[in-house]
Amino acid sequence: MKLKKYFALTRCGILESLQFRASLLVMFAGNLVYLTVVYFLWKSIYASSGTNSVNGMTFHDTLIYLVLATALFNFMEMYAVWEIGRNIQTGKIVLDLLKPIKYRSYLFWSYSGSFVVNFFTTFLPTFITVCIVTNSAVPLGINLLYFALSIVPAVIINYSIDFIVGTICLYTESIWGINIMKQVIVMLFSGATIPIAFFPKTLKNIVNYLPFTSIYNTPLSILLNGNPQNANILTMLGIQVIWCIALLIVSSVFWKISLRQITVNGG
Amino acid sequence: MKKKGINFYLHIYFKILAQDIKSKMSYRADFIISTIGMIFTNIAGFVSFWILFRNFPSINGWSYYEMMFLYGFSLISITPVQCLFDNNWNLRMYVYSGDFIKYCFRPINLFFYYQSEIFDIKGLGQLAFGLATMVYAWTKIGLACTPLIILKTIIFLITASLIMIAVMNAAAATCFWITNSFFVMDLALKFRDYAKYPITIFSPVFRFIFTFIIPVAFIAYYPSLVILRPDNIPVLSWISPAFGCLFFWLSYKLWMHGATKYSGTGS
Amino acid sequence: MQNLIEIKEVSKEFKILNRREGLIGSVKDLFSRNYKIVKAVDNISISIAPGEIVGYLGPNGAGKSTTIKMMTGVLEPTSGEILVNGNVPYKNRSKNAQEIGVVFGQRSQLWWSLPLIESFRLLKDIYQIDDSEYENVIKLYKSLVDIEPLLHKPVRQMSLGQRTLSDILAAFLHNPKIVFLDEPTIGLDVSMKNKIRILIQALNHEKNTTVILTTHDMGDVDALCKRIVIIDKGKMLYDNDIEHLKGFFGSYRTLKLRLGENETQQTDVNLENALAKHFTEYEAISVSSDDEWTSILINEEKIKLMDVMKAVQDNYFIRDMKLEEISTEEVIRKIYEEGV
Repeated sequence: MKLKKYFALTRCGILESLQFRASLLVMFAGNLVYLTVVYFLWKSIYASSGTNSVNGMTFHDTLIYLVLATALFNFMEMYAVWEIGRNIQTGKIVLDLLKPIKYRSYLFWSYSGSFVVNFFTTFLPTFITVCIVTNSAVPLGINLLYFALSIVPAVIINYSIDFIVGTICLYTESIWGINIMKQVIVMLFSGATIPIAFFPKTLKNIVNYLPFTSIYNTPLSILLNGNPQNANILTMLGIQVIWCIALLIVSSVFWKISLRQITVNGG
Repeated sequence: MKKKGINFYLHIYFKILAQDIKSKMSYRADFIISTIGMIFTNIAGFVSFWILFRNFPSINGWSYYEMMFLYGFSLISITPVQCLFDNNWNLRMYVYSGDFIKYCFRPINLFFYYQSEIFDIKGLGQLAFGLATMVYAWTKIGLACTPLIILKTIIFLITASLIMIAVMNAAAATCFWITNSFFVMDLALKFRDYAKYPITIFSPVFRFIFTFIIPVAFIAYYPSLVILRPDNIPVLSWISPAFGCLFFWLSYKLWMHGATKYSGTGS
Repeated sequence: MQNLIEIKEVSKEFKILNRREGLIGSVKDLFSRNYKIVKAVDNISISIAPGEIVGYLGPNGAGKSTTIKMMTGVLEPTSGEILVNGNVPYKNRSKNAQEIGVVFGQRSQLWWSLPLIESFRLLKDIYQIDDSEYENVIKLYKSLVDIEPLLHKPVRQMSLGQRTLSDILAAFLHNPKIVFLDEPTIGLDVSMKNKIRILIQALNHEKNTTVILTTHDMGDVDALCKRIVIIDKGKMLYDNDIEHLKGFFGSYRTLKLRLGENETQQTDVNLENALAKHFTEYEAISVSSDDEWTSILINEEKIKLMDVMKAVQDNYFIRDMKLEEISTEEVIRKIYEEGV
């Protein structure tokens, strides 16, 4: 059973996340505060602008977008760069490399447990709350299915980027510096902090050629679109899949090359 | 035992600080990458600010440049916590592994000894960025530049710094009670991002919360009112220096209480 | 003479979380938790005079570290009274710290990225050591060990042995009255262990410093300690000379044998089984072995030594043999296993 060993890792991850009751509570409280700030901030932005719709998004749209972006972030963020970097610094990576699973898969599946926990503890409650608070401004139809579909490549893209950046740690001693750069770029250019719709035109064009929008902006745009046109959705999903494959290849090749370098140099 | 006055502590502090900087310089690559990372963070922060507010002439009666002033002010006020209290981020790891015990055997103040170990030079870049932003906003708003107003600015910057330090101390101290306090630290760090918005955008309930329970409004809003709105300064602004000292003292007490209760896991 | 350390009926309790097992258990733990109270140290009394080297022994989890943490002021005892050099350590942690030095075998307290000499200079300032006193100590160190090559090496680049050595020197730097050494020789090779023991002995001798040593290595005990204190499960089992302790086991002797041409470790188990079959009171015998010798510890009140010899000779070819009194190692093992 090949899958069995992966699911064993998932199960361990679930058990581990559940150990930290306090951190679940804190994460929950933190989100609450964050969402409050976002709510009031955008409310006053819209109030000051004097129109209902800014850049094609209403207040409700923006709110749902940002709230769910946060929920998605909590759900997807794995701090893999930290983990890889720390494992490299402490030398624990040697032990992980000895395991009969590829390191990349090992790490991913170890985290998959916290995906499951975070889905139920953060994403789902937030989603339901948003639906209730905004008086079901979230269209509930076929778009949910498309949304679910687009989450899969989003998770993989996010992880691949993390893994590529983590691999860089093999070369530099700087985990903090590398990690913060990655985080800042991903958060800004993926539309996690500000919807891409608000970006000025040139910036929007540039960002569209980068993989980051596929992580947050694409799934959320799909979710918010009540009557999707198939062609449109397919293009978005297609772009995601292409990025997904490209980054998987890059991360795998980069890791292999780097690892050879390391074994040659003796770490 | 000889008496240990302020001179003793200053002497020790600068000695340890000099050693820390010396050793940081020996990891050149890390230093350079971290600095670039820091610059990145600041640029990205500013870009988000610009994207968000460039569309609107004012928000809730606050002009673009006044918002920018708040932004710069908050950046400067978080510099001390970044530079001098960065070891708080490692506290969780030391406590978890049991290594924290090594700080307990020295005949000097535990809190001081622990915090003195690290000086984060990267924070100075942030200071420069914050100063530049504030000065730019200052001239654009056309504020006067008298010695009195500068003195006020300095006093209230210190106040704001004390609050931010208090928040981070308290957040770090939670690791003495809960295992995975990273999320608390992360949450506390997020507060810094909320600090740059005028508190008037919130509803009264949250105004109360952000003033007295999670005192983020003191990090930039109340102190900078003294400079920006000299005609109409609320009492809270005037007493914020007292609040700063109080919160700092409370957080110190909490930290020390946790440290003395700490039973040293492992070994 | 006034005792330097006075521990009276001290106990320390910890609250430990009982975790439930499995996925469902973990979910339940989220909502309700139950704790149990564990007595790490249970009603211990010890007094220690200036200049003594005391071996503080016990199996893992016996409560050794907890006791040391209480003596250093890191932990507050749940009940009882501790006086170290006239101070209550928990109440005057900082004052107490001035008078003690602490080394934890695997945790360096030195500044990781600094050369040793810089760490020493910082400690000189922190402990407010006079220039002349500092010079004297450094001179003493130079006469005892070859520290010259270590002084300018950052701690992170040192080997474990060098680091331990440096940590011990750092702990003695401010001329403390008491030094606590928690497993100082753990993980070190034989020659380094020896070096460290000689150093501790010399420092104790030169400065009349009281040393409290926890260890699992009986070589440390034989080389350094006249007196030992043994605790297990928080309770004190023994507090007196080693020789006195060995007296309890006067009827024990160790028969050391070299067996066969190329016997492997298997011998241990086989031999034990063979002897168990042969004697009815086989619990009076225990077998262990190292690289060279197979040792059989015999209680001669129960079984005659010559009978054992004969039983072994029936089954094995004996190349070489010698007879020894019971070793510290064996005494301590017997105490951990059976009590006093």
